[in-house]
Amino acid sequence: MKRKITPVLVLRYILSYGLAFAFIFPVIWMVFTSLKREGTPIRSVAEFFIPPFTTDNYHAVFSRAPIGRWMWNSLSVALVVTVLVVLFSSLAAFAISRIRFRGRTFVYLFFMAGLMVPGEATIIPLFNLANNLGIVNSYKGLILPALAGPFAVIILKEFFDGIPDELVDSARIDGCSMLRMYMTIFVPLSKPAVSTIAIFTFIGNWNSFLWPFLIIMSEKMYTLPVGIPAFNSSYSQDYILPMTVNAVASIPAIIAFLFFQKQIIQGIKLTGIKG
Amino acid sequence: MRISKQLKQDLLAVPFLLPFFVFYVIFVVSPMIQGFWMSLHKWTIVRKIRYIGLNNYEEMLQDPYFWGALSNTMKFVIWSTPSIIIAGLLLALICNQNLKGKTFFRLSFYMPNILSVAVISTIMVFVFRPYSGLLSTILHDLGMKDEIYWLGDSSLAWFVVVFSTLWWTVGFNMVLFLAALQDIPDFLYEAAKIDGATSLQSFWYITVPLLKPIIWVVTMLQIIASSKVFAQIWLITGGGPGTATRPIIQYIYEIGFRQNDLGYAATMSYALFIILMVLTGIQIKVRKKGEA
Repeated sequence: MKRKITPVLVLRYILSYGLAFAFIFPVIWMVFTSLKREGTPIRSVAEFFIPPFTTDNYHAVFSRAPIGRWMWNSLSVALVVTVLVVLFSSLAAFAISRIRFRGRTFVYLFFMAGLMVPGEATIIPLFNLANNLGIVNSYKGLILPALAGPFAVIILKEFFDGIPDELVDSARIDGCSMLRMYMTIFVPLSKPAVSTIAIFTFIGNWNSFLWPFLIIMSEKMYTLPVGIPAFNSSYSQDYILPMTVNAVASIPAIIAFLFFQKQIIQGIKLTGIKG
Repeated sequence: MRISKQLKQDLLAVPFLLPFFVFYVIFVVSPMIQGFWMSLHKWTIVRKIRYIGLNNYEEMLQDPYFWGALSNTMKFVIWSTPSIIIAGLLLALICNQNLKGKTFFRLSFYMPNILSVAVISTIMVFVFRPYSGLLSTILHDLGMKDEIYWLGDSSLAWFVVVFSTLWWTVGFNMVLFLAALQDIPDFLYEAAKIDGATSLQSFWYITVPLLKPIIWVVTMLQIIASSKVFAQIWLITGGGPGTATRPIIQYIYEIGFRQNDLGYAATMSYALFIILMVLTGIQIKVRKKGEA
């Protein structure tokens, strides 16, 4: 069925596209600005978007600050955290969901209670603890506290509960151990939940600001979110180099987003409503 | 010796539970208890000085900066929650139209959400910078001669902070609303059309009532998220001008790490913790109701 072109329809198209474009416009502007030569006078908006362009700024930012190192810090910390969160949370969720040990209701409620403890409200004692453990300004300090959130356990437990008993029973009759059951039945069958948790843990950690900001003291240990503002604060007038740093930090994230957008959006529906 | 069946189950659970359990106890449970302990002391970064009972709590209740920062956080909640909820709903409606380019709309609206807070904050600082900023350049093109000092005026600074947060986070709410919109069966709208309802009427009498549960859930999530505001304000205004936009977490940070008074900072964290716990409790209740 073909729709008639009415003025209302045209208006709806214009408004929708206009707004969608407005949302990404600042990001597009960031990319174009990063391609301008340092010190270029800008007399009108159009000048942001017309040549001459240069990629010199990209060389410059990598030589003026250890951006590569910051990226590596962010990437490696986020990856390690993601792998460990998925592993530890799924193991714990499996135990609560399928092993009939004494006190499992208590353990479940004990973890649930952790949802009520926002990380932001415990930064002071957490810093004190990190200080006593000697993990301030280290990878350990960035990674270990990030493994403690109970959200993933709760989500996975709910998911595991939904796996039919018959599968478990027949596996048990075949003499399958609990560990094998976890590896060959539960994790593979919960792929959507596991990948959602992995993606969100990664994004959350990659973008995490407050905790790294508190415990990282030396420039070479910065993660990107802490390094970017530190770099930018030394440029007051010309913001072409700061915008280049922004672009360097964002382009991989945007590409990853375009790849994983389906899973990300599915994941919000899954965790946002169920969690 | 025979091990009972129950004990065998108990022992079996241990290796599965232990790794998470250890981290949870060390990094979530113990700081909560430790935080209370610290709030009863004069405590610096280096060491505990002495026990002072509830003195920190008394100090807090009389500290105008504490109340100022707390009311700034509340101000942020009050401004940001309705605007981000309404904008989220509006964007979801845009994505839910039967137009070509739906995927593009959804991607654009969600995209800022994946950027680092450091990136979105610096972009916004440069957008709103006087003389050379993007907005200023556009306004000059349109013939404006004066400069607007967005971050120099407290109302304008508030606007910038809320606007930036909206741009950054509204996509998340939009996705939740969009999922709920797509769950509304088409035949309801078709039936309403046959009965002669206008589209405004079907929005008001079909869409809104069916979205009510999710609106509640998203509102509570937004209130909690907004109560924890720190990074974007810190990076955009630094809490300024003066202390006009300084939220409670920034004040806790400054007391703890700049003025080296961890005991008092822990006390204020506890106050924040109780507020957030109540909000989270309400949120879990609201959500249960929404699912039932």
